[in-house]
Amino acid sequence: MTALFRMFLASQVTRARLLGLGSLGLLSVLLGLALGAGDGGDPATEATELVAAFGLSLFVPVTCLVFASAVLGEPHEDATLVYLWLRPVARWRLVAAAAAAALAVSLPVVVVPLALAAAVAGAGADLVLATVASCSVATVAYTGVFIWLGLRVRRALVWGLAYILVWEGFVARAGGTASLLAIRSHTRSLLAHLAGGSGELIEVSAATGVVLPLVAAALALALAVRRLTRQEVA
Amino acid sequence: MIELDHVSKWFGGVVAVSDVSFSVGPGVTALLGPNGAGKSTVIRLVCGLTLPSQGRISVLGRQPRRHLDLFGHIGLVPQQEALFESMTAGAFVTLAAELHSLDAPGSAARAALGAVDLDAGDTRALAEYSKGMRQRVKVAQALVHDPPLLVLDEPLDGLDPRQRLTLIALFRRLGSEGRGVLVSSHVLDEVERFGSRVLVMAQGRLAAEGDFHAIRTLMDNRPHRLRLRTDRPRRLGAALLETGTVVGLAVGGGDQLVVDTLDVAGFRRAVAPAARTAGARLLELVPLDDDLESVFRYLVGPDPSPTR
Repeated sequence: MTALFRMFLASQVTRARLLGLGSLGLLSVLLGLALGAGDGGDPATEATELVAAFGLSLFVPVTCLVFASAVLGEPHEDATLVYLWLRPVARWRLVAAAAAAALAVSLPVVVVPLALAAAVAGAGADLVLATVASCSVATVAYTGVFIWLGLRVRRALVWGLAYILVWEGFVARAGGTASLLAIRSHTRSLLAHLAGGSGELIEVSAATGVVLPLVAAALALALAVRRLTRQEVA
Repeated sequence: MIELDHVSKWFGGVVAVSDVSFSVGPGVTALLGPNGAGKSTVIRLVCGLTLPSQGRISVLGRQPRRHLDLFGHIGLVPQQEALFESMTAGAFVTLAAELHSLDAPGSAARAALGAVDLDAGDTRALAEYSKGMRQRVKVAQALVHDPPLLVLDEPLDGLDPRQRLTLIALFRRLGSEGRGVLVSSHVLDEVERFGSRVLVMAQGRLAAEGDFHAIRTLMDNRPHRLRLRTDRPRRLGAALLETGTVVGLAVGGGDQLVVDTLDVAGFRRAVAPAARTAGARLLELVPLDDDLESVFRYLVGPDPSPTR
């Protein structure tokens, strides 16, 4: 599994991806600095909204989409998956190695700059810890879902962006069941609970905000294993 | 080692493989057929990459896909060109060895790359390799775990003549050591060099199987069609019929004459004297069906002959 992890990791880290997503990370830090330098409202509330609106609603899901949808999706699309598939390796090991590699790249790319943004915004240690926790949970959840998506559909980036922008960004805002089916509703709630404020972000309990995204990730990865077992390989 | 029992495979409304049955034992077996004949689908079926729509497949006594450990006994050279482009050849083949849980993956990779005349220490990425080198890397990753069964989809594609000879010798050696080697090709001369048993596929069906030389004779004995251009097509046609080397003949538009013959060499010897007898000028003589496609079409079902 180490060999697979290394291979997946190397295939994920490209200069273009790191530059593009690194720029978003830098932007989040700059926004945090701007908040910290401003003398407007409550820094804790503003920084929480920054992490929720920019981090958990855009930066984290897009980063996970880029890495996770590609980790198995790219070899599936360019037909190199056969070089991994036609080996006596349990399918769950392939998926686990892919998920570990995607997480190994995504977590530092999103958590470090967002935690830094929360810190420089001057909102205190609670928000920094809340940011680290909620972003980590979100990264795990989105990574699981987008790994499955990469195997399930062609042009997973387009479908993933549609999910992030249309479902999570528009439909889920209507509240109710649609909201519960959006990962960001849970992770934003978790952020708000742990940061101790921003009641309007809270839609579920803190426990639900942790458990449901992780269950979604586990289910999606199980579906990815099933897909890998049953699908035709080019 | 491989058994296909009335296997069919269709994709939507397209039948890729139709009711194919054959068995493959140790030694080299060539799967010969034109592009689109269904060879790659058969290879994918054998390796479990796709499931049959109908029929049964057994590989080394097991059903592909259902037994994960079977993949430890198969080496596949797939048709597609894509590799893990940013890796070196050494890393790529070593990864294959590691996935087969070999004790010394590095030395196994070096040996496999050496068998195909590639340097395991080459630091260039695979993206920089020529097509021939990429083909040999694909062969190396299939060999690295020393499998008893090798399945090779057009492995000589893109190789220069010397590399072809090297790999053909390698496949023959592996076959003579008791391994099963199923190798697909659309090049008749290539298959001849394997000196092997041949399965001929055309239009998704198994058109012929057996010893290469028997099939070559069958192919050579089919009617051949040639087109002649002459200033007196009708008179030349009549003269050619007199030679007895022509089994069918049609006068085309203008100066063209199309003939069918079972004896190309005899016909070629007879055509100039016949033209002289007819007082005709022979402007052109072109074989119309020397390509492999027409050979396969003949094996599947003969073309309608031109009317005499």
